[in-house]
Amino acid sequence: MNRAAIIDAGLFAALVAVALVAQAAGEPFVITLATKAAIFALAGVGLNLVLGYGGLVSFGHAAFFGIGGYVAGILASHAMSGAPVATFPFTMQGTNEMLAIWPMAMAVAGLVALAIGALSLRTSGVYFIMVTLAFAQMLYYFAISWPAYGGEDGLSFYVRNTFPGLNTFDPIQFFAIVAVLLGLALGLSALIVRSRFGLALRAARAAPGRAVAVGIRPFGIRLTAFVISGMITGLAGALYADLNRFVSPAMLSWHMSGEIMVFVILGGVGRLAGPLAGAGAYILLEHLLGGVSEYWQALLGLLLLVIVLFAPGGIVGMLNGGRGR
Amino acid sequence: MNGPILEVEGLQKSFGALKATDEVTLDLRPGEIHALIGPNGAGKSTLIKLITGEIAADAGRIRFEGQAIDTVDAAGRARLGLARSFQVSQLVPDFTALENVMLAVQGASGESFRFLRPALADPALTEPAAFHLAHAGLSGRERVAAAALSHGERRRLEIAMALAMRPRAFLLDEPMAGMGADGARDLTALLSDLRTEAPILLVEHDMDAVFALADRVSVLVYGRVIATGSVAEIRADPEVRRSYLGEEA
Ligand SMILES: Nc1ncnc2c1ncn2[C@@H]1O[C@H](COP(=O)(O)OP(=O)(O)OP(=O)(O)O)[C@@H](O)[C@H]1O
Ligand SMILES: [Mg+2]
Repeated sequence: MNRAAIIDAGLFAALVAVALVAQAAGEPFVITLATKAAIFALAGVGLNLVLGYGGLVSFGHAAFFGIGGYVAGILASHAMSGAPVATFPFTMQGTNEMLAIWPMAMAVAGLVALAIGALSLRTSGVYFIMVTLAFAQMLYYFAISWPAYGGEDGLSFYVRNTFPGLNTFDPIQFFAIVAVLLGLALGLSALIVRSRFGLALRAARAAPGRAVAVGIRPFGIRLTAFVISGMITGLAGALYADLNRFVSPAMLSWHMSGEIMVFVILGGVGRLAGPLAGAGAYILLEHLLGGVSEYWQALLGLLLLVIVLFAPGGIVGMLNGGRGR
Repeated sequence: MNGPILEVEGLQKSFGALKATDEVTLDLRPGEIHALIGPNGAGKSTLIKLITGEIAADAGRIRFEGQAIDTVDAAGRARLGLARSFQVSQLVPDFTALENVMLAVQGASGESFRFLRPALADPALTEPAAFHLAHAGLSGRERVAAAALSHGERRRLEIAMALAMRPRAFLLDEPMAGMGADGARDLTALLSDLRTEAPILLVEHDMDAVFALADRVSVLVYGRVIATGSVAEIRADPEVRRSYLGEEA
């Protein structure tokens, strides 16, 4: 293993260790914090694929996070009430099975990513940032004005969804589910980045003219990455809804897009475990400073500024001594 | 096939009031090096970009291996077998030399939608890439990042990437730009061999190289081809001497 891989594995091990120690010490709240960090990290892993490796600054990833959350919330609330989700073109019942909810959340997030990507990827630079933001805000306002699922107030579903053989109410068991999914997502992105597809994606960022000159169309490559990215962030959203047993338009808001971006930038853009380091640091800061002052986000902003100016490789970059990826 | 590989007919391109390409007609025949010379700003790079499809022509036709390619996009033309090198190196700086050439092999293969297998563990990419790197004189430099290569090595990497496309025609835009005399001499030998793989449309300012390599020469001035002929014909052409060679003598 090279140094970068050791850092990635170490960060993941640290997350798991925090949860295990908290379990041993009888601190379920800390386990919940670790779970939240893992879910945010997962959302960031999705964004990192396009932002870090594709150079596509999406300011609209809350759309996928929120869609994942709403899919989970809507299916769960229908499972609770017994009313079908849809009766046309076919009857669809709600469910509280995570194994049914996840693929659905990923599929819907992926489809929306396909539509948003197909339109926004025709622009670049600051226009791309604005177009992705605009689409996410459209969904945000739609959720606010859609009374069937709570509108502005959001949607609670009281009972956490189920996973065969596990008690999802037990914090450490729910953490285990989230950690395994995060590990899988990290492994998948490690593979994707090194694959032929990853080669094309990274080339399309660093030298788009060259990519075209060797016969690679950046649009299709980027769109595919955008869809995969949206699906991963959508899965994170479904888990986040389950963590809180609540979903609201806030998950779709531009604040959320900004937060996901902060995880990636803080941790290290285009570093495999960057989102994990970033989300972990974010949760830690929120927990430590949030109690001290309401203005902890100003401190976060300062930290972000320092990182961007002096350590563009983020936390992972610093751990790696400023070396390559 | 005995006809020309590449035929350009009546090609026009204006940037505002500037006619960068003015009714250009030329062809590229199997086995030849066709040099395109002309003063700075004559429209040589523009012509290459029109042929590759990077920019769209205002008028005119391009046929490649007998087939009209005017509606084919740049990536499609590359896959048909039109390989270009850039006047200003366009490499992926944080890729190694090998990865840059692998990218070219991959692009030509048309198989970029593979997600799981590490590209570096794919012999269908690494083996041809290493072979073409060696052909371009970069053995031993496979694992060096493109950004860390010397200028001359980057020029060679450009050639290796074009070679890796296994093209039907090369479009080389000043491959020797910025190289020293030794480097230029080595590269001249390399290009001379290359024409047996595929014909070369060669834009070059280095007249020693052009006169040593070219089977035919076209002279471009203000976007117009003012003469096409053998090296001897071009050297003797009074208009060429006045408008281009003269300024060098
Ligand atoms: N995208 C563009 N927009 C406007 N003008 C352009 C553009 N590209 C090229 N030109 C102009 O077209 C003319 C031809 O440029 P081109 O780069 O083709 O010349 P060249 O023969 O390759 O020159 P050099 O020997 O310096 O490389 C120049 O006057 C240039 O300024
Ligand atoms: Mg030029």
